[in-house]
Amino acid sequence: MPTLSTSSLLVASRTALLAKMLGVDMVSQNLANVNTYGYRGQRMNFQELLNDRTNINGVQPVATQILLAPGRLETTGRSLDLAVDGDGFFPIQLPDGRTAYTRDGQFTRDADNNLVTGDGYRLIWQGQIPANTPDERITVNRDGTVEVLQDDGTLAQIGQIGLVRFTNPTGLIGYGRNLFLESVPSGAPVAGNPGAAGFGSINGGALEGSNVNMASEMTNLIALQRAYSLSTRAFQQVDTMIGLAVQMRRG
Amino acid sequence: MIKGMYAAASAMITNLARQNVISHNLANIDTPGFRMLLTANEDWRNTDVQDLPQYPNTYGNRLLDYGTIGLGVETIEPVTDYAMGALRQTEEPLDVAIEGPGFFTIETPNGVRYTKDGRFLRDAENNLVTSEGYFVLDDAGQRITLPETGTLVIGTDGSIRADDNPPFATLGLAAFNDPRTELVGDLPNTYSAAAAPTGTDIGQVVQGYLEDSNVNPTLMTAQMVEVNRAYEAAQKLVQTQDELLGRVISTLGRL
Repeated sequence: MPTLSTSSLLVASRTALLAKMLGVDMVSQNLANVNTYGYRGQRMNFQELLNDRTNINGVQPVATQILLAPGRLETTGRSLDLAVDGDGFFPIQLPDGRTAYTRDGQFTRDADNNLVTGDGYRLIWQGQIPANTPDERITVNRDGTVEVLQDDGTLAQIGQIGLVRFTNPTGLIGYGRNLFLESVPSGAPVAGNPGAAGFGSINGGALEGSNVNMASEMTNLIALQRAYSLSTRAFQQVDTMIGLAVQMRRG
Repeated sequence: MIKGMYAAASAMITNLARQNVISHNLANIDTPGFRMLLTANEDWRNTDVQDLPQYPNTYGNRLLDYGTIGLGVETIEPVTDYAMGALRQTEEPLDVAIEGPGFFTIETPNGVRYTKDGRFLRDAENNLVTSEGYFVLDDAGQRITLPETGTLVIGTDGSIRADDNPPFATLGLAAFNDPRTELVGDLPNTYSAAAAPTGTDIGQVVQGYLEDSNVNPTLMTAQMVEVNRAYEAAQKLVQTQDELLGRVISTLGRL
């Protein structure tokens, strides 16, 4: 039998309360983004916490995991709305020079005719949109080539949008603003053209919806709440038991 | 009298230890593949109760034997309940559950281990790993390397293929006829076995599902009430014996 100190008795419940709280935070974040285009749900993975085989200490979060289920494609008709039908990500230039990656293809043009995200970060691609080209004249094909309808009715290719894939996209680090950063678990980014194996193709005039599954998130929320209150109860009980031991002398 | 006080105190300590196991089970109620720990109590060895005879008897001046008395109680090493947990659909391609008594085989720094936790991931080198980064082994005891691209399909027999290609690996599955004696808890949520797996009934592998813990909240709540009352009673017993002892000392001292 392991030696028990009174403080260690509270540890199992305390770790559970902290872990479930993080779990609820993650579910809340997912539910808040149920309508965010290109959003990738995340999951908090919990694991049993043992100091050694006999020293049981409850539970701990081991890693967050980005969920891979594809979101539903929604047609918007806007020529600069792009959805990736596959595993690829759009590479985005951050103001600090790093590259971030996103599934959110709601691009617009800035004053210099760069394709930018809703936050004004530039999409990294080969090509340049000519000045004074209305959005409606731009077409992004499934293979990522960008074409402009010219005045004489012909299409001129002005560039190529490339995609980036990761060996383990579940290990990407969330940057916020619907952007991800590469990490050691995710592996290095691999660039390629849409249509190549593993990258997926681009759907112009469509957006990918959030991949959060409302029903399973709500179920998770309920399960987490119940687990939280059960662990609260265990915590209170241990507290009462410690109290009784302390008060024994008075009897 | 002191014997009784320490026996009651042992009951308090025992119930604290049981409560710790319950807290641990409840903490892991949402941990996939977690198997709950069951506690049981056993009494310590008994001792003879003997006394000096009050008057000379036919047996001479020997000690009288009144029988035995217990010296207290302790919890035995918690026993793992290997009953199945419910399956939860996650739709993640690398979440795998075993619908049956089988275990996944994984490679940890401590050696080969068995687990019911099927939260698998692809690492940066395309190995199939657990959420803690341990390698998942195939039926030949080798690490599984996934192809760089392609939709992974895991069959009910554990075979893994990409798209419509033939299977490139099969998950190493193991079953134990009597897991309670053959397996011991080891690293978090994993078990080690002293000998090779004995069982044949593995069950079916289901992709896109996780097996929940088998912690039973009703049982745990009921056990908590039980532990609470047993602890309270033991605490009262210590106090009562202390009072009696005090009274004996003061009364006899007056004589």
